[in-house]
Amino acid sequence: MTVAGAFLGGASGRLLPASIPLRFFGAAVAYHVLGWLVLVVAPGDWMAFRGGLGWPLAALHLFTLGVLGMTALGAAAQLLPVATRQAPVGARALACIWGLYTPGVALLALGMGLALPALLAAGGIAVALALATWAILAARHLRGARGMPGVCAHAWSALASLFLLLASALLLAASWLGWDVPGRQLTLPLHLLFAPFGFMGLLALGLSYLLVPMFALSPPPRESTQLASCACIVAALLLAAAAVFGLMPDAARALSWTLGATGVLLHLHLMRRALAAGMRKELGRSFVLVKLAWAALLATVLLGGVLWAGVELPRAEPAFGLALIAWLLTFVLGMLQRILPFLGALHAAAGKRRGPTASMLTHDKALKAHFRCHLAAFAVLALAVAIDAPWLARAGAALGLAGAVAFAVFHLHLMRKLRAAGV
Amino acid sequence: MTTQTGRMLDEEHRRNLDLLERMERAIAGAPEATPELRKLLGEFARSMEVDIARHFEFEEQQLFPRLAEAGDGAISELMREEHDAIREVAQELLPLAQEVVQGAVDEEAWDRLRLGTLELIERQVSHIQKETMAMLPLLDDLLDPETDGELALEYAATA
Repeated sequence: MTVAGAFLGGASGRLLPASIPLRFFGAAVAYHVLGWLVLVVAPGDWMAFRGGLGWPLAALHLFTLGVLGMTALGAAAQLLPVATRQAPVGARALACIWGLYTPGVALLALGMGLALPALLAAGGIAVALALATWAILAARHLRGARGMPGVCAHAWSALASLFLLLASALLLAASWLGWDVPGRQLTLPLHLLFAPFGFMGLLALGLSYLLVPMFALSPPPRESTQLASCACIVAALLLAAAAVFGLMPDAARALSWTLGATGVLLHLHLMRRALAAGMRKELGRSFVLVKLAWAALLATVLLGGVLWAGVELPRAEPAFGLALIAWLLTFVLGMLQRILPFLGALHAAAGKRRGPTASMLTHDKALKAHFRCHLAAFAVLALAVAIDAPWLARAGAALGLAGAVAFAVFHLHLMRKLRAAGV
Repeated sequence: MTTQTGRMLDEEHRRNLDLLERMERAIAGAPEATPELRKLLGEFARSMEVDIARHFEFEEQQLFPRLAEAGDGAISELMREEHDAIREVAQELLPLAQEVVQGAVDEEAWDRLRLGTLELIERQVSHIQKETMAMLPLLDDLLDPETDGELALEYAATA
């Protein structure tokens, strides 16, 4: 039986209580609204942001920690037991993690927005404790893993990246508190490397090997290619870190980019084959978003290469940042709109003769509105970057906010339906 | 998938998924029954009535008991529950579908048919997803070549 099959066939034994993943996903939906809202109302030209405390940094962390991190914690807590063929454990610990992480992200973002380092540090410590505890739970699952070596290799690498990103984040927070710590010229690039590409990126790529075949009804992608892709990306991260520390920086960067691009291309090749071999051809709007996210991933790799090669391309830096956020946010929202009703229907059907189907739990009009607004937001933001127009960027953020509100309507509708179904 | 029985069921799943996807595309936003849609609906109704009954009965009589004996009772129980739900929706739907195939129905009945068809398609697709990924791979360990051959012959004879 495939691992996805073990999930689908023996679903009830593999499921965490519904309230656990749903609280993580609910918080992610709320932070999604807040992230765009901050960009709409933040004073000044946030397109000119190049670092430092302020509302642009707060918005960035509302998206990264609030949406991407929160979703990763909830999704991995449910999917890793499936991938490792073990019963889920730690429901109470996960509830505590959520209780620490959710306000921690809010405090951290407020501290950044209001430029209050003490508040930022308090939030940062809460977030770091929550993430470290979650990592221990995830590592316990991975230690007892049976099968799915590709997913497990990605998850182990993501956990290692998580510790590097936490260490760099705490050092950055300490530097804002005025403590004598290693310079930002070391900690910031490491943070920017291991947060999006190491932790979130590897987790997104690894869990795709479970989710995409499950939804497309295709055989699992070849394990050796999954492992090769993971090895390339991990080697790329290590070489990029070596370049940050000044070890043959030019050669290390060139090799890092080549390996990273190879890893990404291998991943996309496996995804394309999974979709082509899948018995389900009509995968709907959610997979349009996932495919666009993969296009944004390719754009991220290309723009990263341009920046590292030192090619003079106007506005390449903000374009790279936008492509990176577009990749992860679009991927997460595409998957989330598929996972939420799927998981909800599994819970709602338990013990019932004719439980609700996934589409009965879905507010399709809200998702359609989100789809249009989300794509329009990123198109407008890309144009704003290209012509350097801050007013247009704010209009793009307003479209993003409208999409986030529509996504929240979809989520609230699903929660109401689940409550009515007795979940 | 190495068993003949598994491959036969898988082949039927693929044909059925193709029909379900065509049906879903055709009926999702259709305001009324066009002649093409009536024809497709007729094919769909026949598939629901004949093929599903045959496919489900074979699985319930020949495969689920064997799965339960081998310790995979949870999967066979889940599949059986889903068969019951699909039969229930199909029973509500078939008379309406036959009315549409034979002539016109009013707007209210058309809406009921459209929504019921979409529900049946979704339940069927989700069920095929579970059988393909969770149940059929188990047949490789469950059926020895002799039993597999006998079951495949028996199933082919009911076609």
